[in-house]
Amino acid sequence: MTAPVLQVEGLAVHLRGESGVARILDDVSLTLPRGGTLGVVGESGCGKSTLLRAILGILPRGAETPTGAILFEGRDILSDHAESARGRIGFVPQDPYLSLNPVFRAGDQILEIMRRHAPGSRRDHRDRLVELFRAVQLPDPEAALRKYPHQFSGGQRQRLLIAAALACDPALVVADEPTTALDVTTQREILALLRSLVTERGLSLLFVTHDFGVLASVCTEVAVLYAGRVAEAGPTRAVLDAPRHPYTRLLLACHPDRATDLAGIPGTVPAATAQPPGCRFHPRCPVVHSGCAVEVPTMVALGAGRAVACPWHEAALA
Amino acid sequence: MRPPLPEILGASDLVVELGGRRGLLRRRAGVRAVDGVDISIAEGETFGIVGESGCGKTTLARALLGLQRETAGDVRLQGRRVSGLDPRAARHVREAVQYVHQDPGAALDPWWRVGATLAEGLAIHGVTDRTDQRARIAEILAAVGLDAAMAEHYPHELSGGQQRRIGLARILLLRPKIVILDEPTAGLDLSVQAAVLRLLRDLRARFGLTYVFISHDLSVVRRVCDRVAVMYLGRIVEQGSTATLFAEPRHPYTRALIAAAPHLDGRESGPSLPGDPPSLRAIPLGCRFHPRCAAAADTCARREPVLEQSGAAHAVACLRWRDLDAA
Amino acid sequence: MTALRLLLRDRVAAFGGLIVLFALVVAIFAPWIAPYPDDAFESHIMQRLRPPSAAFPFGTDNLGRDILSRVILGTRNALLVAVAVVLAAMAIGVPIGLAAGWREGWLSETLMRVTDVFLAVPQLILALALGQLIAPGIGAAMVALALTYWPFFARTVFAETRRLRSALFVDALAGIGASPARILLLHVLPNAAPAVLVRATIGMGFTILTAAILGFLGVGAAPPSPDWGLAVSEARQHLPEAWWFPTFPGLAILLLVLGFNLLGDGLRDAADPRLRRSRR
Repeated sequence: MTAPVLQVEGLAVHLRGESGVARILDDVSLTLPRGGTLGVVGESGCGKSTLLRAILGILPRGAETPTGAILFEGRDILSDHAESARGRIGFVPQDPYLSLNPVFRAGDQILEIMRRHAPGSRRDHRDRLVELFRAVQLPDPEAALRKYPHQFSGGQRQRLLIAAALACDPALVVADEPTTALDVTTQREILALLRSLVTERGLSLLFVTHDFGVLASVCTEVAVLYAGRVAEAGPTRAVLDAPRHPYTRLLLACHPDRATDLAGIPGTVPAATAQPPGCRFHPRCPVVHSGCAVEVPTMVALGAGRAVACPWHEAALA
Repeated sequence: MRPPLPEILGASDLVVELGGRRGLLRRRAGVRAVDGVDISIAEGETFGIVGESGCGKTTLARALLGLQRETAGDVRLQGRRVSGLDPRAARHVREAVQYVHQDPGAALDPWWRVGATLAEGLAIHGVTDRTDQRARIAEILAAVGLDAAMAEHYPHELSGGQQRRIGLARILLLRPKIVILDEPTAGLDLSVQAAVLRLLRDLRARFGLTYVFISHDLSVVRRVCDRVAVMYLGRIVEQGSTATLFAEPRHPYTRALIAAAPHLDGRESGPSLPGDPPSLRAIPLGCRFHPRCAAAADTCARREPVLEQSGAAHAVACLRWRDLDAA
Repeated sequence: MTALRLLLRDRVAAFGGLIVLFALVVAIFAPWIAPYPDDAFESHIMQRLRPPSAAFPFGTDNLGRDILSRVILGTRNALLVAVAVVLAAMAIGVPIGLAAGWREGWLSETLMRVTDVFLAVPQLILALALGQLIAPGIGAAMVALALTYWPFFARTVFAETRRLRSALFVDALAGIGASPARILLLHVLPNAAPAVLVRATIGMGFTILTAAILGFLGVGAAPPSPDWGLAVSEARQHLPEAWWFPTFPGLAILLLVLGFNLLGDGLRDAADPRLRRSRR
């Protein structure tokens, strides 16, 4: 069995601010096998963006030195701010309208990335780029080289960004909600493209999203984050069809595909500076027990690659 | 079957042109964001308008509201013709119609205390007595689930959810009959979405409101709307009761939309829709959708379809709807 | 207010604010602080051009007047001129900016072109020209400065009004039936106020410097006024021996303009709505 391309172990990121220490991530562990697709799903405030930044080595300056480890291809990239991984991790950002510099040609922006991190002559890079444009199904790849970002539609721009992420032939592609700004029909095309690229090129994909439907269509594995901790992880189908953590169960019950009434989840996500003690979900949890406010739950392995951070995962919801 | 409820808000042959410029020497034609729309909203219902970017749903909403002047066509409010007025006069005549932005919290003046913002709406509409204002504000804040003490805060001191509720409270104070909701759940977390929809449902019951629900999220529309209209490039291509439309979508675009929404069980179904919608400046001849339509025939490039009844509560604008298999 | 707190945290801006405050105090209490207040107009030829000493910390000028006292008294002049000019420029520029920014059309275009014309006029030339028309002196200089500074306010307010015009809350106000007058005066103006305040603060520094230049050139304040620029001009022929003569008025100009500029920069940062909004 080959080593996983990405392994996060006990990652903790705290941010010191004027209102105290924001414990954005605590004891987060994930594994992404080579060629696999892992979705990190959670609502706002769960820390998924910070997790991405930690992997990419772009944590904000005010962050205290993060603890734990992020192993990329076996090497720890947390301590050197992902310097050793430059060019080996591709990033697909969220907003295709803001991520490209409007005053430079799109092709030139991607060529610049290639020049920095990939060996080869100008001609090599240019040919590679045309091939990439074809791979991401951009119409008329040769002409696309000369165009400016505003001359592309939203969906096409997102394809450009995917091409940019693939520019240096990375082992890992990290995508940050790449389809939230797109229409639903365009989204479907982009997700299909990502799936095909993963299978054709043997990419490993880390996909951050808040949309369970999108997650279900791309990722074979999922990790559910809540308030900076992993609540539940495992194969997507297993987790979505039979969630075990009370948070996951309540959240999925809110999804329009499943919702019988507009139940919602009582309470609100805690502020990062005021995390509840013990299990961070306990103030809102329907199966809360006396120990939940005291002990931080550990991940319980459920077999078949599943794990849940709740000792009461067998209990029925009220 | 129940007799249809009376129409409370409607439009006929509505056309809204945007962006036209009239210079000294030359005119630049605008684009028709709304191009011949007939719509009739019944009292007390929740009427959904869905479509993707560029379809004209926001422009239609603003034209119904009156903030956007119609280029042609009529708008009726409770039976009376209210179109043909400039935005200020239109807003005055159509006071019974109010509009909630996608992020109502951002629609609050950051330099004003929230209580003052709420009172201002009342003052504009003739309620200037302080005690009267305070009473109404307290009542409305309770209705949206907020503490009366909120009034002393500035918008940036409140959470997003609280800001959203204040935004709703502000228009409810004006006792509208029809509320146009522009993407009320866009960008919201699932759990917050459920809370917002529940609040909207409760308010509708309490105040006897009619909702026009604009959204690109089909699954939400399916849950909360009684009837739905699907828009594409400025026209309504299909319209009907929610149950019928989702069970038997007839227009190829509607089918593609419904098929495109990602499902929790990960299954993919129905036709996909490659490419991007054409620009409003280069509207295809014949049926607007035909260049992207998998079922397009020769006639589709020549004749424009009109909305025709395809069932009891179902209308579709497609030349070939009879020929296409039910999904 | 949070803006104030942010400002105080910015040490450089706080330093600028301190200078301005100090100058304000000096200006208000000038006749009582100055050791020789009569030196505003009296001369003592016997004591001319004495170097700095215990009796005269800044030395004396060519007419034997205590330079320290004249610098202190000159603070009043500098600030009064600056405030008057900035207020006048605001009174002209702000309404023009509002009117031009609110709607598009020929009025807006005309107003902004007029603004451009006034922007193109060089202050010194205008001051000289006005000096010929009206009596030359600080009055003409102030008119010239106001007439050439108001376009900056007009532009600032124009940009703010245009920006706010498409703001969501302005749209919401139109939605609930607010009149344009109400929106402009009660909502747009307060939201534009930070930008105007920043412009006014920088304008103060700018005016003091330019007024000093005009005084130096002889088309501003006239003798025996304790104007700083005038003092520097009078000192020219006594250099390099009487080094103290232009130095201390010059330093005063430098310090006060610096103070206003630092304060203005700090205000600009503190007034950034993004900082204000992330207070939570």
